[in-house]
Amino acid sequence: MATLRLSPSPARPTDPAATLVPWLVPALVLLLWQVLAANEIIPPRMLPAPLAVGQAAAEMAAEGKLVPHVLASAQRALLGFAIGGGLGFLLGLANGSFAWSGRLLDSSMQMLRTIPHLALIPLVILWFGIGETARVFLVALGVLFPVYLNTYHGVRTVDAGLLEMARNYGLSRWQTFRQVILPGALPSILVGVRYALGIMWLTLIVAETIAASSGIGKVTMDAREFLQTDVLVFGILLYAGLGKLADVAAKGLEKRLLAWHPSYVRAR
Amino acid sequence: MAPMALAAPPRPDAPTPASATPAAARGVAVAARGVAKAFGQRGVLRALDLAAAPGEFVAIVGRSGCGKSTVLRLLSGLEGADAGTLTIDGAAPFSGNPLARMMFQDARLLPWRSAAENVALAVGGDRARAAAALAEVGLGDRGGDWPGVLSGGQKQRVALARALVAQPRLLLLDEPLGALDALTRIEMQGLIERVWTEHGFTALLVTHDVAEAVRLADRVVVLDGGRVALDLAVGLPRPRHRGHHVFGEIEAAVLDRVLGVAADPAALHEIPAPCGLARTA
Ligand SMILES: Nc1ncnc2c1ncn2[C@@H]1O[C@H](COP(=O)(O)OP(=O)(O)OP(=O)(O)O)[C@@H](O)[C@H]1O
Ligand SMILES: [Mg+2]
Repeated sequence: MATLRLSPSPARPTDPAATLVPWLVPALVLLLWQVLAANEIIPPRMLPAPLAVGQAAAEMAAEGKLVPHVLASAQRALLGFAIGGGLGFLLGLANGSFAWSGRLLDSSMQMLRTIPHLALIPLVILWFGIGETARVFLVALGVLFPVYLNTYHGVRTVDAGLLEMARNYGLSRWQTFRQVILPGALPSILVGVRYALGIMWLTLIVAETIAASSGIGKVTMDAREFLQTDVLVFGILLYAGLGKLADVAAKGLEKRLLAWHPSYVRAR
Repeated sequence: MAPMALAAPPRPDAPTPASATPAAARGVAVAARGVAKAFGQRGVLRALDLAAAPGEFVAIVGRSGCGKSTVLRLLSGLEGADAGTLTIDGAAPFSGNPLARMMFQDARLLPWRSAAENVALAVGGDRARAAAALAEVGLGDRGGDWPGVLSGGQKQRVALARALVAQPRLLLLDEPLGALDALTRIEMQGLIERVWTEHGFTALLVTHDVAEAVRLADRVVVLDGGRVALDLAVGLPRPRHRGHHVFGEIEAAVLDRVLGVAADPAALHEIPAPCGLARTA
């Protein structure tokens, strides 16, 4: 019933059978994969069976190798996101709200944005070496622009009629910002955040494959060296899982913050 | 802009709400003298003279683009005049003037605030006063709703509550009922007339609907060519009904002046000349 989510209809499927339907295809694929791999129709060295991947995961967890690596990756990602996203948010707010700031900085930002941040990797290694700073820097750079662009756009496109109303009703500058501009820009800002989260993981994956002494990238690089395809596949699944988790968190945030939005409104 | 010395209106000294004050005394005098306003090369108003006594209800009609909204925007301080003087209670207009509140054609409610919060915005977050104002416009039970789930008429009621909650002494209404269906519009006209009678503020109503102007206003003013082309007192007792023959006569006189046809019915079928200075040259 995935299409139902798009409609603002307050009626949601509550039938448990209906909520299971979307999982049917993935479950079948998994089953087929298991059968094919177990009968060695797919060679295990190319793609191990799902159960083998699960086993590898359990072993890693038992040896205490799983959690520290996941934490190391997550920490990097979030630190880079906080720095780059925070900077993009503040710059977007400033350039959207103050004409002088926008005139001074926006065209420069638009120019910088056209440089693919991953193309800077050699330069970044030259600047920071292959340490932690380089990876965090790359993530921050990657998320900066989507957050900036969407914040700037959101602030600039706040309904002019509402701003006029705020002036007429004597709202102070701060009140106008807090009550009108920020909530008005929020849908656009959250689009930027979700987009940036995707870039965050992508950048991290690339950055961790260069060189890392910890993190999921380290696990998969080691696994490749020792031809442990099961661990390798598990590492990829970990990245996917973390990406999904970030997306779910962003969606939850959206639902909470945009409860007023016509596509989320339920009669209170 | 030097404030003009007008006949000083009786003015309650105590801040609102002044329940003991007779309602009519709460309105403020509004005056425009020789006001001119141009946007770039386009002169919109020129030598506009317009006055409203305290508590008076004045309707402004005229062709689209004649500068009706501009008059209200000048009075609300959203625009500045190029020449002439505007006064509200003897003082020049400024944006955020607590004496004057504006109601727009679109309700302009913050979609991310509940109806009650939208109203409370005008009184620094005072929820009790917001609830009372919402009850006054008949939406006492909808305060918790998002604007997104309210109908167009209900949104305008909330906007009216927001305009009234701080007890303004001048209400500027820019086609507030223009987007509503005929039935809701009649209901809202009744509501506006009632709150105006009770609160006693001065009202300036811009409307396209001549019948609405005649029904509600003490005086109907026709704008044309950047100045007042007709200023007609409506002496009918309230509540007024369209069926009344004098109502019809006034309505026809205003409509004729708006369309610029004094006696030639054939001219009704011509394409109306654009509202501009050429016609009055
Ligand atoms: N900010 C502005 N910049 C340029 N021109 C403007 C601006 N505001 C109004 N105008 C012009 O001034 C003229 C009068 O506009 P105004 O909105 O006062 O008309 P109106 O009588 O309210 O029309 P309507 O009945 O269609 O609302 C129009 O020609 C309009 O294009
Ligand atoms: Mg207008």
